[in-house]
Amino acid sequence: MFDGLKDKLGSFREDVEEEVEEKEAEAAAEAEAAADDEDESSTPAAAPDRKPSEETDDDGGPGRLRQAAALATGRVIIEEEDLEEPLWSLEMALLESDVEMSVAEEILDSVRERLIGESRKQVDTTAELVEDALHDALVDVISVGQFDFERRIAEADKPVTIVFTGVNGVGKTTSIAKMSEWLGERGYSSVLANGDTYRAGASEQISEHAENVGRKVIAHEQGGDPAAVIYDGVEYAEANDVDVVLGDTAGRLHTSNDLMTQLEKIHRVVDPEMTLFVDEAVAGQDAVERAKEFDDAAEIDGAILTKADADSSGGAAISIAHVTGRPVLFLGTGQGYEDLQEFDPEALVAELLADEE
Amino acid sequence: MVLDNLGSSLRGTMDKLRGKSRLDEDDVQEIVKEIQRSLLQADVEVDLVMDLSSNIEERALNEEPPGGTSARDHILKIVYEEMVEVVGDSTEIPLEPQTIMLAGLQGSGKTTTAAKIAWWFAKKGLRPAVIQTDTFRPGSYQQAKQMAENAEVQFYGDPDAEDPVKIARDGLEATEDADVRIVDTAGRHALETELIDEIEEIERTVDPDRNLLVLDAAIGQGAKEQAREFDDAIGIDGVTITKLDGTAKGGGALTAVNETDSSIAFLGTGETVQDIERFEPDGFISRLLGMGDLKQLSERVERAMQETGDEEDDWEPEDMLEGNFTLKDMQRQMDAMNKMGPLDQVMDMIPGMGGGMMDQLPDDAMDVTQDRMRNFEVIMDSMTDEELENPRSIGAQQVRRIARGSGTDEETVQELLQQHKMMDQTLNQFQGMGDGDMQRMMKKMQGGDGGGGMGGMGPFG
Repeated sequence: MFDGLKDKLGSFREDVEEEVEEKEAEAAAEAEAAADDEDESSTPAAAPDRKPSEETDDDGGPGRLRQAAALATGRVIIEEEDLEEPLWSLEMALLESDVEMSVAEEILDSVRERLIGESRKQVDTTAELVEDALHDALVDVISVGQFDFERRIAEADKPVTIVFTGVNGVGKTTSIAKMSEWLGERGYSSVLANGDTYRAGASEQISEHAENVGRKVIAHEQGGDPAAVIYDGVEYAEANDVDVVLGDTAGRLHTSNDLMTQLEKIHRVVDPEMTLFVDEAVAGQDAVERAKEFDDAAEIDGAILTKADADSSGGAAISIAHVTGRPVLFLGTGQGYEDLQEFDPEALVAELLADEE
Repeated sequence: MVLDNLGSSLRGTMDKLRGKSRLDEDDVQEIVKEIQRSLLQADVEVDLVMDLSSNIEERALNEEPPGGTSARDHILKIVYEEMVEVVGDSTEIPLEPQTIMLAGLQGSGKTTTAAKIAWWFAKKGLRPAVIQTDTFRPGSYQQAKQMAENAEVQFYGDPDAEDPVKIARDGLEATEDADVRIVDTAGRHALETELIDEIEEIERTVDPDRNLLVLDAAIGQGAKEQAREFDDAIGIDGVTITKLDGTAKGGGALTAVNETDSSIAFLGTGETVQDIERFEPDGFISRLLGMGDLKQLSERVERAMQETGDEEDDWEPEDMLEGNFTLKDMQRQMDAMNKMGPLDQVMDMIPGMGGGMMDQLPDDAMDVTQDRMRNFEVIMDSMTDEELENPRSIGAQQVRRIARGSGTDEETVQELLQQHKMMDQTLNQFQGMGDGDMQRMMKKMQGGDGGGGMGGMGPFG
């Protein structure tokens, strides 16, 4: 995941470096010229006052004079126009990685704000400056309300109920089976409750998964009340001393009002400790829209991104977290039950900005 | 629906150009930027967006608008043509015996699509069968079997077998007397080499007449790579976009079509087996430009009328396109609409109602609208035949009578009449509309714009 973005972030750094170097060369040349000018004009007594003001007028900004001054002290000031090209490329790179447009714009604004007017001492490299700006902008966007999932399970009253929501076909049921394995490895028992009473084959699917990982499934007839199934799951867990109830729900499009209302009902009846929103890493701009809708219907605590192995862009991870203000907790990275990884934003950003060489 | 954002934002930009006869470079650049944003937001792949927009920019700057055409119409035409260029025609699906294989990512909706396509062929009078070869995902056999039952088509699968190639071979034998065989495969993604090898083998065994790539409307930039890999492995003849009833714009399909040099075959718009539409490029583009989809609409009207069965059959939906739009037509239309399905889906197809219009409506507008429609029905029930045929002849006294008779108030009756007038005018504009008249229509649609115009469109607005 994120291979494309990683390359592009690297080239953004280089672009800015180039712009700044160019500018440095120009500034050096101009400073020389200016110095010559000053030498010549320093003899007539009236001239020196006028000279600087003319120059600032020419450039219409703090421009040349301040820059000349900056150069004298070994600094170059980064200006808006230096960033225009590199930022455009950066925006395209973010969009190419499926970062949602408004989120991409926010990242750009943040990078721009951090870089413009920034003067670089000759001891730093431009690359470092840019890297810091990118790092901060990305961490700001990705890392929202990250919490220790395992600790929360450990500290919550048992049984802990976790409900999984999301649109059709993103991999909720598979994620539940994986989560059950993940919990098992850490010493927590779990029971699966099939709240998908709608889709054909859903019950068979979860039962087979449960059999593979050796867990109990609570299921009702197709067409039954999903809230009741999950409720039964909780009762079963209480009676049998099971730690965690993993409640599946039918995939639904966020435009289906009836199904979204059903989700609210599950929330009311079961009152889960956590609701996890499942979406796929291959999702594009729409990922944000549906995450919002699901969060509205039944407030989510975090997200799981599946099919992260299918895609090298993964911008959905960046956008969903930012827009819902809920962290991405796990990534699904394959078809095996062990293919569930905890998501660490700091590590991700570090990885994104790591040098290629 | 698909890309309707482009429609609305484009219209916004275009409005600024009203009255201009020449475009300067700045105008064009602004429009191109807007087009780029919209396409990117619709998940069209970045390179494709850049190609498209640079073509549009170049043509807009270099081509002289034909005499009498405003700059705005000229740009619209260019945008339209460039989009048509990418989208191309609908994938040709002959109504004859054939084998179709479906491929795609996990969870893109292949199994549901298989049953839908089977249902579609069954409606066309052919005998389809679905062959399920997914041995990997638990529950896939049961799902496919049930979907095939819902579609009332033949089904072959083997829950105990492990080799998809063998199931495919056995399935073809078992369904020998079916006309159309649809082979469903397990979900896989382009980077799973073993699974890609497997589908190549299934492909060799099945030897399908066409391979369709099933794509979730929400897929992002990854569509390009997925499409390319599947195309390299088995060759893609067409794309089916699923889950278009969500809010995703489906631009990934454009990318896939461009990448595989194929075309779009079907659209999936809901969870039941009937929720499938054949892809129509004209409708797609006009919906895309916010012009509604007349063809789909009249097809739906006809289907709804057919389902209504033997109700009076002296009514021709075409009549209303020919300018004889009476209150009776409106009554029947409302009646048929109730049978056509969710109002907002139908709305999307009505000229001038899709795209931008829909965005401006408050979320609960549809519910209010349903109420209004019921009110209108009651009012029309209180009218005489003469009044229904000739709504313009209704005077103030009659309005009072009708209001009393229907238990509503005069204001609502007036609203209904106003509504009818608006619709009549709108429909009049479509008479004899050919391809070249598109711009003229756009102009007219926009002329009536701005709060009152469309907002007053009564039961639909």
